[in-house]
Amino acid sequence: MSENEETRSEFHQLMDEVRSDLVRMGGLVTEGIASVTVALLANDLAMADQISTQDDEIDLLSVEAEEKCIRMLALQQPVAVDLRTILTDLRMVSEIERSGDLVSNIAKGIGRIQGVELEPRLRGLIDRMCEQAVRLTTLAIDSYADKDAALAGALGELDDRLDELHNDYIDTVFSSRFDRYITTQQAVQLAVIGRFYERIGDHAVNIGERVQYLVTGELPEHKGAQRARIRRERSEEV
Amino acid sequence: MVNIEESNDKSLVGHTPKVPVARAAMRSQDHAEARDLGQEKAAKVFEINGLHAYYGDFCALRDVQLDVHQSEVTAFIGPSGCGKSTFLRCFNRMNDLIEGARVDGEMRYHGLDLYDQNIDAVEVRRRIGMVFQKPNPFPKSIYDNVAFGPRIGGVKKSELDNVVEKSLRRAALWDEVKDRLGDSAYGLSGGQQQRLCIARAIAVEPDVVLMDEPCSALDPIATARIEELIAELKTQYTIVIVTHNMQQAARISDRTAFFSVEVSDSGRRTGQLVEIDRTEQIFTNPEDPRTEAYITGRVG
Repeated sequence: MSENEETRSEFHQLMDEVRSDLVRMGGLVTEGIASVTVALLANDLAMADQISTQDDEIDLLSVEAEEKCIRMLALQQPVAVDLRTILTDLRMVSEIERSGDLVSNIAKGIGRIQGVELEPRLRGLIDRMCEQAVRLTTLAIDSYADKDAALAGALGELDDRLDELHNDYIDTVFSSRFDRYITTQQAVQLAVIGRFYERIGDHAVNIGERVQYLVTGELPEHKGAQRARIRRERSEEV
Repeated sequence: MVNIEESNDKSLVGHTPKVPVARAAMRSQDHAEARDLGQEKAAKVFEINGLHAYYGDFCALRDVQLDVHQSEVTAFIGPSGCGKSTFLRCFNRMNDLIEGARVDGEMRYHGLDLYDQNIDAVEVRRRIGMVFQKPNPFPKSIYDNVAFGPRIGGVKKSELDNVVEKSLRRAALWDEVKDRLGDSAYGLSGGQQQRLCIARAIAVEPDVVLMDEPCSALDPIATARIEELIAELKTQYTIVIVTHNMQQAARISDRTAFFSVEVSDSGRRTGQLVEIDRTEQIFTNPEDPRTEAYITGRVG
């Protein structure tokens, strides 16, 4: 073995496998967002059931990826970028798996709004929320695959667009209720479905924060944590 | 060149009596402050600038700059031939004993130029003790191994028992040997022999303990005991350790220095310091890609 040869190839191959698993999970989620939106707009219950079942595949991949991460932590004593990658992977598994659950929740929501005739403005907003959620999830996974901290850091601003669409959507749902096109129960169910799209965007932003940690080694500090830190420091000074 | 006359620590100069001198002053730094790694407040025991180490005309180590801080464990890691053991031997002028070996550059110990011609190398080695890769007890009793240095240093016979007990206790060996102090040191296990060597090193009240792969000949349990001991010893001594075991450096050290090696066309190997930082930083997010490549096994 020469001096410049990789000395831990088996370990690093396993890391690559987890990376592929996560990218695949991300792909399944983005496909799921697009499919469930088609089912929602077409009011297609059979398709919705099928999408719910597909979430099992994401769950299985997430368990397998997590098991591999635990094995690497236990057996390989990872350090530096390897440690940061595995810690990122573990957090990403949860984020992607949750996004998969949200797709499944949208699918289940379709059954609860049977008989609702979606007005054109609502249909347009659902379509655009879908497009934005797919975009955010795709870019989040891309930033991970390419270790692109700049892209990862831009996801927060992109998510603002999805939040605006979500606000418009909620306003439109309540206008529909006000105009008596839908019942209160149906309005609540539609609002919940919109919330699922919005949450998918938040998970993409969380992935972005983890990718920034992976690349820079700096943990993201949320505003709440900053406030608590300042309060703690002040109380220590007193 | 340091102005020796202006230094408040003259015991290293010339052939002054080999008694504990100026150690209190050396240890006067606030240990609590020294612990505060985050704010870099720990006092500097060694300040090294532009240090080159040569064997004849061959440069084994090039242009090293780093500081060693009081009451910390500083670990040196790196591939074989990177000069980390050569560098460790510079700290107590052990290289003086190797023919053709010489050192260029600045190596300050508590502000004194360690390589000043007026510095007494023997006194340096008393102040800066060393523990080697393989346990090397003297062919004497356990008691005499520990008492050897203090006896030479002029410690009275009536005080020797206390010194031996205190040193063996500090080295976490007392309970295992207190009933057989007169037995040969060779009857001890490898791990016990190494702790005896540590007791012997600290019996002369050094300021710094250098350790050259002290666990490489030991089993995991004996290694764990030495590591635990190092954590306790650093409250009283400054420790510099060379280790091949990166996990060991991560577990026990406050700062880690990574050395790499350059191989010339003729096959000669010259070591250089790549990076020194807080150990947590080195093992989570090292600055230099060469450090990362080495510690993650992406290069051998």
